[in-house]
Amino acid sequence: MPRAVITGVGFITSIGNSRTDVERSLRELRHGFKNVEFLGNPRIAVRVVGAVEGFATDSPNWRDWTYPERYRFAPEALRSVSPHGLYALCACEQALEDARLGAADLSDGETGLFCASAGSPFLFHHHLRQLEEARGERGSPMGMVSSIAGTLNFNLAAHYHIRGAVCGFVSACASSSHALGYAIDEVRLGRQKRVLVVGAEETHAETVLPFAAMRALSVNPDPGSASRPFDRRRDGFVSSGGAAVMVVEEAGQAAERRAPVYAELAGWGQAGDGHNVALSHPEGAGLAQAMRRALRDAQTPPEGIDYVNAHATSTPMGDRSEAAALRAVFGAGGGPAISSTKALTGHALSMAGVLEAAICALAVRDGFVPGCAHLEEPDPACDGLRLPLATVEGRPRAVLNNSSGFGGSNVCHVLKAFSA
Amino acid sequence: MSQAHPVPPPSAEPDHNPREKLGRLPPAALSSYDEFMGTGSEQALGVLVVEVLKYCLAKNLDQKADVRWVEDARLVEDLGFDSLATIETVFFFEDLFHISVSNEEIAKVKTLGDLRQFVRGKLEAGKA
Repeated sequence: MPRAVITGVGFITSIGNSRTDVERSLRELRHGFKNVEFLGNPRIAVRVVGAVEGFATDSPNWRDWTYPERYRFAPEALRSVSPHGLYALCACEQALEDARLGAADLSDGETGLFCASAGSPFLFHHHLRQLEEARGERGSPMGMVSSIAGTLNFNLAAHYHIRGAVCGFVSACASSSHALGYAIDEVRLGRQKRVLVVGAEETHAETVLPFAAMRALSVNPDPGSASRPFDRRRDGFVSSGGAAVMVVEEAGQAAERRAPVYAELAGWGQAGDGHNVALSHPEGAGLAQAMRRALRDAQTPPEGIDYVNAHATSTPMGDRSEAAALRAVFGAGGGPAISSTKALTGHALSMAGVLEAAICALAVRDGFVPGCAHLEEPDPACDGLRLPLATVEGRPRAVLNNSSGFGGSNVCHVLKAFSA
Repeated sequence: MSQAHPVPPPSAEPDHNPREKLGRLPPAALSSYDEFMGTGSEQALGVLVVEVLKYCLAKNLDQKADVRWVEDARLVEDLGFDSLATIETVFFFEDLFHISVSNEEIAKVKTLGDLRQFVRGKLEAGKA
């Protein structure tokens, strides 16, 4: 069976807009949070966000946007994207350069594109309001393609002339993990030589505040402690956005191109909780099953895993449930090092899965395990789990990346150090 | 030729605060808008149409250095418009003047001059 490897990554994130900056933040446990006043309303309790730097995308009109000078996109590329589409374009450019791929490589029909985002509630709202103000008589022709879920794949497929498999994935916070899982399959089944996997999100009020309405967000105003997965005092997640991109490639093809390999994507698994529309199963039943399936697919016993990048978003219930699932799979005591890098990045929603898989890729290639930032009082629910406070040097043999989304959708990937 | 789908008259007066919509364009756009609304000057409308076309054109202008913004310049062949950019231009005028344009009408607009005359005709029809 063909093997799937990672040959490129790209980051536009709250903790850095390049691989080197992201890795430095991870190693030094530097978070990417700042205070924000949503909608200019000081009465809104949510005061912390993990926003990207170097971009100004507050206007619904792309002509007003600014972005880092190293990127240049034609108006044609920008007129139909939302802010997270711009982040994704930038992250794609990084990943393609990293993987040493040129424009011609992407339109060979053997390259696919799998994307995940929630669409742009910010831009969609703007366009619907415009339509409403005109009493339905007229609206922007870019309203749909720039803002509905799928906007990423519509735009990126057109921009990069992708002629292979193109698809968007919608499973909330597991979306880009699904995109990556199916990309692995696409390569292992021999259907594609490579797949670009893209996740992106915005931190505009329209994306963030609906989660406050669900009481899912932290109201801790301190950027240094609002996101503290597995800590006893955690009170919700901190929203984040940006874009993360991964180039998944067939190992032989990568070798032929002499492309450097980060890690092998050795397997993945998924399972539903069958429990609740928004809440995790109290014992993490679906997540535990997804982990077992991923390990079986990767032919790796639990003892072979050195690090787990947990989904843990810093919500009271979600982290507890994941702790139970981790204990069910790895036992209590002596298991792998576990951390949730959402303590540093925030929770990037649809984008979280591929972002954290890319973080795992850095860990495997460059030999470190990010510690549990902001963890001061571990929740007793985590008893028996190994939660290193500081970054651990050393190359993990294999790592597990966990994700969970609304409806109890759980997806896990196994990444391994690659040997031909 | 009769229209298959006649467009009902606009439901509102032209935009009384065009500054927001024209604010991103060069100053000539707003001044020509004001002049056209005040005097009905054909020339002023011509300037406005060119500025809006430049604004909505998705291609980098420097890629088409030979672009000539003349009456008989064809939107697609000469100016490099694709259908999305054309629809965006039409929407800009719809939104600015609160008019509605049908698909059949869009299909008839081929040149810069067509567009200017079309906008003028629409506004006159709205007043009638």
